[in-house]
Amino acid sequence: MRLGTANTYDNTLANLTDRQAGLADLQEKLSAGKKVVRASDDPTGAAQAERAMSRISRIETEQRALSLQINAVTAAESTLGDATGLLQDIRDLVISAGNAGYSSVNRTTIAQEMIGLRDQLFAYANKQDSNGIPLFGSLGSSNLPFTDATSGVIFNGIPGQRAGTTVSIPGAMDGQAVWMNVPTGNGVYSVALGGTNAGRAWSDQGQVVDPSLVTGDNYTLTFTVDTTVTPNITTYDVVNTTAGGAVLSAQPFKDGQSIQFDGLSFTARGIPATGDSLEIAPSVRSNLFKVLDDAIAGIKGASNSNTLTQAITLALTQIDTGMERVQSARGQAGDLLKRADNIASNQQVKSDQVTTDRSRAEDMDMVKGISDFQNQQTGYDAALRTYAQVQRLSLFNYLG
Amino acid sequence: MSGLLNVGARALMANQSALQTIGNNIANVNTPGYSRQSVVLQNVAGEFTGSGFYGKGVEIVTVQRNYSEFLTKQAAVAKSVAASDSTRYSNLRQLEDIFQGGPDGLGAAVSNMLNSFSDITSAPNDLTARTVALTRADETATRFQAVTTQINDLRIGTIGQLKTDVIAINSLAEQIAKSNIKIAEAKGSGQSPNDLLDQRDQLISELNRYIQTSTIAADDGSVGIFIAGSQPLVLGKTVSPVKIIDDNFTDIAKSQFAITVAGATQPIDAARLGGGEVAGLLRFQNSDLVDATNLLGRMALAIGTRMNEQQALGLDLSGNAGVALFSLKNLPNGLPASTNTGTDTLTVSVQSNPSGTTSFNPSDYVFSFASATTGTLTRLSDNVVTNFDFSTPPVVVDGLTIQSTGAAAAGDRFLIKPFSKAASSITTAFSSPKSLAMASPITGSAGVANLGTLTLDRLAVKTVPAPAVAFPQVDLSFALNTVTGDFEYTSSNPAAVPITGVYTPGVPIAMSISGWSFELTLKGVPNNAVAPTLPDTYSIKTNTAPMLNADNAQAMLDLRDLAMFDGGPLTDGYASLMSEIGVKVQSGKSSSAVSSGIFTNIDKDRAGVSGVNLDEEAAKLLQFQQAYQASGKMMQIAQNVFDTLLQSLGR
Repeated sequence: MRLGTANTYDNTLANLTDRQAGLADLQEKLSAGKKVVRASDDPTGAAQAERAMSRISRIETEQRALSLQINAVTAAESTLGDATGLLQDIRDLVISAGNAGYSSVNRTTIAQEMIGLRDQLFAYANKQDSNGIPLFGSLGSSNLPFTDATSGVIFNGIPGQRAGTTVSIPGAMDGQAVWMNVPTGNGVYSVALGGTNAGRAWSDQGQVVDPSLVTGDNYTLTFTVDTTVTPNITTYDVVNTTAGGAVLSAQPFKDGQSIQFDGLSFTARGIPATGDSLEIAPSVRSNLFKVLDDAIAGIKGASNSNTLTQAITLALTQIDTGMERVQSARGQAGDLLKRADNIASNQQVKSDQVTTDRSRAEDMDMVKGISDFQNQQTGYDAALRTYAQVQRLSLFNYLG
Repeated sequence: MSGLLNVGARALMANQSALQTIGNNIANVNTPGYSRQSVVLQNVAGEFTGSGFYGKGVEIVTVQRNYSEFLTKQAAVAKSVAASDSTRYSNLRQLEDIFQGGPDGLGAAVSNMLNSFSDITSAPNDLTARTVALTRADETATRFQAVTTQINDLRIGTIGQLKTDVIAINSLAEQIAKSNIKIAEAKGSGQSPNDLLDQRDQLISELNRYIQTSTIAADDGSVGIFIAGSQPLVLGKTVSPVKIIDDNFTDIAKSQFAITVAGATQPIDAARLGGGEVAGLLRFQNSDLVDATNLLGRMALAIGTRMNEQQALGLDLSGNAGVALFSLKNLPNGLPASTNTGTDTLTVSVQSNPSGTTSFNPSDYVFSFASATTGTLTRLSDNVVTNFDFSTPPVVVDGLTIQSTGAAAAGDRFLIKPFSKAASSITTAFSSPKSLAMASPITGSAGVANLGTLTLDRLAVKTVPAPAVAFPQVDLSFALNTVTGDFEYTSSNPAAVPITGVYTPGVPIAMSISGWSFELTLKGVPNNAVAPTLPDTYSIKTNTAPMLNADNAQAMLDLRDLAMFDGGPLTDGYASLMSEIGVKVQSGKSSSAVSSGIFTNIDKDRAGVSGVNLDEEAAKLLQFQQAYQASGKMMQIAQNVFDTLLQSLGR
């Protein structure tokens, strides 16, 4: 076969250029550490790497948001811990106020101390995270979710708790449930002394003995003391003031014996006078601050020992309920933090996985790359050498 | 004796001519298009004598051009195909460079923009987080514009190159016509004008780089050059000039190749051009660039429109309804074909409610009217044909709403290019971070006496009424159906038409009321309330605390997973765009490699016939040198013989 000299030169040159381009391409990939520098190198791999990259940046974003959420919930959790301690202090003060040896001056001092603690607790409820977002903002609130109005503390938020997702936890606790959800009395009903009581009678806050009989009506228990006999015989009547009609009548009263009707049970103590009454009302939703305000007012304004005792009993019951609320919220915060830990470690695993995916899709296997490079280098070298040698061969060299 | 002298002189002449031809071959070893020449020798008819025929030496018949018409034509065709593929490939590589991946790419910009809303959900009233989100949005818009500008630059470059190529084609055609005249004249001499033929073949070969031609030789030695199968570019000495004209729809994005034969300009379908740079450039401009523009435009239009829609569902920091985040130009009207006779105008817009943004197909569309209102609609990306009927307007196709105003005539055609302007026109519409509408106008609210574990997962607003209507509160209460064991919800408010259903945790409850529609997703289990305890309730009401609410920012974040581009999530849109371009480049690369390989081989074969081989010439040089020397010797001997004769006479 004939070969055109010029064409041979051209073709050999073109081949050398191709090899050189291949070498440069490989060198570019090696120096970038990537086997996919352009999408056309491996369109599927490039798309995989691109998708993995967007997943990675998304996980980073989610992790950043999660760390803020963790900060907020951690702050809420420790605030709730502080609040529990504070409530314990208040409870101790309430108990000490019951000391029979204390004068009204002593009790005023205690009440003053309680006011201080109560204000501190209020400040806790309005605490914010580092971004100025209320820790107890529920589903949304203004910057300060709680305001202390003359009518009592108001929650300026939207009650409810946000659900967590697979990548986040709620960044705020339900302030309504924590602070604004303390029922009066024992949670089903409350027992209060009649306003005009002349005798020395008080009661505990009782409990429910048969939920199926509970009506949710108001009752009035009125004592009658028969002074014509000695010792005097005390009886009581219970009237359902909502539905009307007597529930119990002329029941003998014995100090410390429990009184039961319509599934309710409580114990009245002391020596009532005729016409003294106990008002039984269904529990209404109050708030922790109102409970404390009532306790403070009860301790400060107690006119006699039985109203004081009644106030203290009521206060202790309600503070305990409030404390339960705070503690259960604290437990919830702890749960959230635990969930956050799980999420964080899941995200880490996911991130590692996606990073590996990305790397597999586009990163250069250096060993293979370098060995390829050396192969190509050897090939190029051989091409150059043979070209030089072949081109030196010419019949003209042997002429003349 | 004089016979010998004559034979010697002829041989000397013939060998000298052969040597000259060899020298010419050596001189032209690197001349493009040169065909190796050789002298054709012939022995002169002998002289008859009584003792037979005496040869009278050698003579030169002609100088022959070594050339294969078949291979030359094949090489020219292969060259034009290779030129077409390699032009397209090198342009595609430039296009690919525009669509970079990685952390600096457009995909990362979109992803970063959406991710930045996460910081707003963490701190809704933090102006820094809002500013970052707004800046990212601006950056994304700028990136879309920058990419469009780069595509436009490529297009302008392509059109420029097309025009240059057309000038080259016309000039080559003129030269070939002139060559034809010269060759016809030279042919009259009876000898083949080898060098003129070489020059013409070289011109044809160069012409094939620009456009694929077929040649037909005429009897007078001229050749006719035809393009696109049958269009006469050169006939003898007549040239039909070619030019680049507007597309049938005056679509600035496309070019059309046309030839003017006898004063009449005829467009040539690019598919019929075959090979040549022009074919490669036209394919790149009319198909590859248009596809890339549509892919990019779809991304800009879909993301921009969807985010605007989401923004409109929220409240900004001042408590006002959100205004559009991106300003996007109206979609361009349908381009009428130059042959249209009707007065119809087609206006295009994005379908709203349900939003058309998730149904976009990156394609142009052609409406062909068969009557004033009906006809067929062709989607150009896959040539799917459907029927349309404007008598029940509007026509909705792939998330686009098309309205017809005016009267179309049968046979009218319109080109719809919905995505041609989006990426170039997208900008952020405001610069105040407060205007980002990140709060939801309504919010879920748990009943304060709830005893169950209901928590709010998501309240997604789907539509808000326009003009604004105050949100009527919706209260749901949950009760256990003791038969099925499921919790069922019933709305106590609104009273007129209660909303009822079975509650499943994590499954959205869709509600629609007074122009508002939304989906409430709750998790947890309601309390199984026994009287007098009231059942658990959940309400949806007007958001009274928009300052610290970022539900709409969360909805923006959720857009990341919205099935938007051919069913793929929004944030993966760029990855598939990139790989789509990558696939084009890859196939362009391999077809370029194949066609240039074919050309190399055919050209090698052609060079094997026509090319000069120096070793061969060297050998021939020796061969004819020796013959020349021998001829000289022959003459010397003739002279010696003559001298001997003279000397013998002198004695």
